[in-house]
Amino acid sequence: MTITVEAMQLTKQYGGRSAIEDVSFTASQGEIVGLLGPNGAGKTTTIRLLTTVLEPTSGEFSIAGHRSTAAPEIRRSIGVLPESSGYPSHQTGGEYLRYHGRLYGLSRSQARSASAELLASVGLAERSRSSISTYSRGMRQRLGIARALINDPVVVFLDEPTLGLDPAGQAQVLNIIRSIAKARDATVVLSTHVLPEVEEVCSKVVILNHGRVVASGSVGEVIKTALIEQSAQLRVPLDLVERARNVLAGFPDLTIDQAAGQPDVLILAVDRPGTGVAPGEVMNEVLAAITAAGIPVLRFELEGARLSDAFLKMTSEAVA
Amino acid sequence: MTLQVAPPAVGMSEDVRAGAERQSGWLVVAEQECRDLWTSGRGLVLLFLFSVLLSAVTYLTSTNQALNFLEQRESVNLVLQFAVAVGVLATLVVSADGISGERERGTLETLLVTPVPRRSIIAGKLIAALSLWFATFLVSIPYVWVLARGVGILGQALALGLCVGTLVAIGLGCIGLLISAVCNSNKTSIAASIFLLLILFAPTQLPSGLPQGWFFEVLLRANPVASGLAYISSMLVEGHSWTQDLSFLITPLLTAIIAGGALILAGPRLVRLTRGVNAG
Repeated sequence: MTITVEAMQLTKQYGGRSAIEDVSFTASQGEIVGLLGPNGAGKTTTIRLLTTVLEPTSGEFSIAGHRSTAAPEIRRSIGVLPESSGYPSHQTGGEYLRYHGRLYGLSRSQARSASAELLASVGLAERSRSSISTYSRGMRQRLGIARALINDPVVVFLDEPTLGLDPAGQAQVLNIIRSIAKARDATVVLSTHVLPEVEEVCSKVVILNHGRVVASGSVGEVIKTALIEQSAQLRVPLDLVERARNVLAGFPDLTIDQAAGQPDVLILAVDRPGTGVAPGEVMNEVLAAITAAGIPVLRFELEGARLSDAFLKMTSEAVA
Repeated sequence: MTLQVAPPAVGMSEDVRAGAERQSGWLVVAEQECRDLWTSGRGLVLLFLFSVLLSAVTYLTSTNQALNFLEQRESVNLVLQFAVAVGVLATLVVSADGISGERERGTLETLLVTPVPRRSIIAGKLIAALSLWFATFLVSIPYVWVLARGVGILGQALALGLCVGTLVAIGLGCIGLLISAVCNSNKTSIAASIFLLLILFAPTQLPSGLPQGWFFEVLLRANPVASGLAYISSMLVEGHSWTQDLSFLITPLLTAIIAGGALILAGPRLVRLTRGVNAG
């Protein structure tokens, strides 16, 4: 796959303070990359550097094959939904998109047809003649995404696109994001701190903390990198707890504890630091052994295997 | 509702890549800025206020003329001076909203990520601000016509007003954009422009009976609005030829050149997400 975004040791300083430092990552065509981090981690600064709104203090980047010095070419190849983007309230949605189409060099007729098509894609065709001031927040976000696609970009940067949206609005925006990567084969760089969103749509994540990349890779790789202590809660019928304990005794790396106040729940923890065996694999074996022994599993809940666990561990470690 | 983005129209990407060469970004920005100014009602409100003020000034002037307190040439000069002064100062106020207003409304970043050069953004905004000056000038034509009937100075007065006013409006429009670029808040930008407006407007309103020494001369010639109006006055009232007092136009011309030059040279560093040449 073609690499469309390449950041190499990007650093941005304001006075003596570093907003981001030595940020490096790549993204390929058709990939959705989640840029994660707590507030103030440097997500927006990274996007502003890559979209040529800010200039890096040091480091380089390339977008769609254009070096960072070729700002006009980069701007022609990208679409951007900035964080808390404002909209001219007196313009209609259609007028707004046509204007931006023309800023990208489309003729009047091309801008008209592109805006009509995009407004339909984001579910705003019926409101194209309405003033933006009458749009809900979700509609504005969808309009902003449509604007980011008006030039058929190679790379789309979306900064907190679901911020302040209700669950239905979030789902709509996530569907649109998926289809940008799939139907248009564009790279999507998605900045967010809503982790379930990332797990749902992103093929790759970059975790930033205090302006530095603390992890990058696929969701699975990042979780693995975090070396989180995994545990599971196993609930079986009360009269079969002892039998379950006997089965679990066959796993030497497993620590078994009784859950406080819940006699039918066992807490299982894997202790294999540095063995290279993923705790998740052990848990799968445990589950298989329990069911093979004819013990009904009333509940099995894996903890520490989510991106949010890895995220919290990495960002809190960096703070400490 | 499941929303999905369709693949782009065939050839659109190529059109976008080639489009910048085909179209002038400044023209697109200017067109939209003018539409925003006039359809949002802001331009019309300013024009309406201008018309009310000009009507009042014309009424007072014609009354004075009827009572023989003013000669007809002086009446034309007074109304034209008022039209030019208020028209160009309205341009200053509109241009002062140009960049800081976009910053405050959160719409600047979407403009900055388009391939339109920063200088074209500035040029488009300046043209939109100048459209207000031309509109005020159009409104003032019938007033000047009413007062200038019979003395044969209508053409001269209108040509003078248009040339001098446009020159001063360009200078002040550029200053307004410079102020706007260095202010993060729209309120600060507008307040600074209104302050500048008062400074520039006050000398034009000094009673002619006041002692006019070297200090007044310096004040007059250093002020682009006052010196421009003095040039109009010297031709309309004193009957000087157009070359006789050209020195009065040095300040308006220098203002336009210096402020315009500063915008052209520093424009790409000034039109930024946050104020100041070193920001960002």
